[in-house]
Amino acid sequence: MSDALKQSLDLSMFWEYRAILLQGLIFNALVFLCAASVALSVGLGAALMRINRFWPMRVIGTLHVEVFRNAPDYIMLVWVHFVLPLLIGIVIRRRVEFHPFASAVIALGFVYSGYFAEGFRAGIQSIPRGNLDAGRAFGMSERLILWRITLPQVVRRMLPEALNLFVSMFKATTIVSLIAVPDLMYNVSMVIQQEMRPLPLYTGAALTYFLLIFLLSVGVRHFGDNWRRKVMT
Amino acid sequence: MDMAVGTAPALVVNDLHKSFGSLEVLKGVSLSASNGDVIAMIGSSGSGKSTLLRCINLLETPDAGEVYVDGELIRVTRTRHGAKPADHKQVDRIRTKLAMVFQSFNLWSHMTVLENVIEAPVHVLKKPRAEAIERAGELLAKVGIADKRDHYPAHLSGGQQQRAAIARALAMRPKAILFDEATSSLDPELTDEVLGVMRELAADGTTMIVVTHEMAFAREVSDRVIFLHEGMIEEEGPPGDVFGAPKSERLRQFLSKYRR
Repeated sequence: MSDALKQSLDLSMFWEYRAILLQGLIFNALVFLCAASVALSVGLGAALMRINRFWPMRVIGTLHVEVFRNAPDYIMLVWVHFVLPLLIGIVIRRRVEFHPFASAVIALGFVYSGYFAEGFRAGIQSIPRGNLDAGRAFGMSERLILWRITLPQVVRRMLPEALNLFVSMFKATTIVSLIAVPDLMYNVSMVIQQEMRPLPLYTGAALTYFLLIFLLSVGVRHFGDNWRRKVMT
Repeated sequence: MDMAVGTAPALVVNDLHKSFGSLEVLKGVSLSASNGDVIAMIGSSGSGKSTLLRCINLLETPDAGEVYVDGELIRVTRTRHGAKPADHKQVDRIRTKLAMVFQSFNLWSHMTVLENVIEAPVHVLKKPRAEAIERAGELLAKVGIADKRDHYPAHLSGGQQQRAAIARALAMRPKAILFDEATSSLDPELTDEVLGVMRELAADGTTMIVVTHEMAFAREVSDRVIFLHEGMIEEEGPPGDVFGAPKSERLRQFLSKYRR
């Protein structure tokens, strides 16, 4: 075995820096959780606009979905971090800077809100009309129907697709290192600069992400299927 | 309390009109139901029976005419663009007095039978949960599915689902229950178990408006039968007269289809 290969398979260096790398991973998780909350709430808002009775709302909702679904997340991140503060600065005539964490959450949250909006819209429209009629006939307000009848069913229907979205979203959190958010990849790069040993460190990072995402998605899928099976025909 | 309200008929419908586009489905229908009345509405498909029922609880907004529930007029705003309820809060409140049982059951599939029954009492009528659960238990026993309370609708037969839907309607303690072809999507043996429950309700003095194709049920259980034809009441009266001595030729034709 060549020395280079041995070196790349020797992950002890990765383990040596576990404390600082774990901190990075926690940052990934933080970015993910915040961006996921943004994506879900903005996505739901956009979906409700897309099926609104008033056409201007529908246009705004559709625009939202098209813009954010078709924007590469890296471009969006750079744009939000470097261009958006300039634009806002020009408007309010003051220097504005976004904290990298905020930029990361906004960019990822909005890009994925486009996908979630489509999931929500399809889910909402798939609820049988009779379910809503029954809610209305029993004196439920439209709001109550949305929260008690429509959304709980939409969530169950969306679950497999949402899981895939969450996985790609978690993977996408790795690009935030590009704007100096101290996530796992960022910390790996920092350590590499110091140790000059990219092979084991990048390999360790790759394995860490793989294991984490794999275990999480298997777990969630298992839990989700059991939960769905009870109710779906 | 005003005596006039206390003695008001459960339901009064006055000269109701409803069109869908250029199709006029109801052309001026009136009816009234006193407390405890069972009114059977019969007629061929497209005669407007279901639309009439859906206009009573404002699932469809009537284009013209009035609906009084328990003496209260449901206010409707009419503009060039069509009709809509004037006050959604009033409509929601009136709907709590008029439960509905649907042809396709329309149980909420993500809730167990028990959860279906207590949903509106807890979240609309704001009853304490424990009280709603206790009442739901009694009602599920009454309709004969006490053992299914923790099942999801997908795991029940059509007849059991419809009985759960009836329990859900009863849980509201409504002034009247609207039955929209409650047995039309059921096999004959399942139809009987649902009709059995409906007979019991009628015997208890429940006010019921029943759109149905079950002529035997209409004849034996109802106090009054209304025959709708092309959006108008063609004939109405006590079941003995309507079935025994139909006056209109159309009603005779209609009934003959059920005598084969």
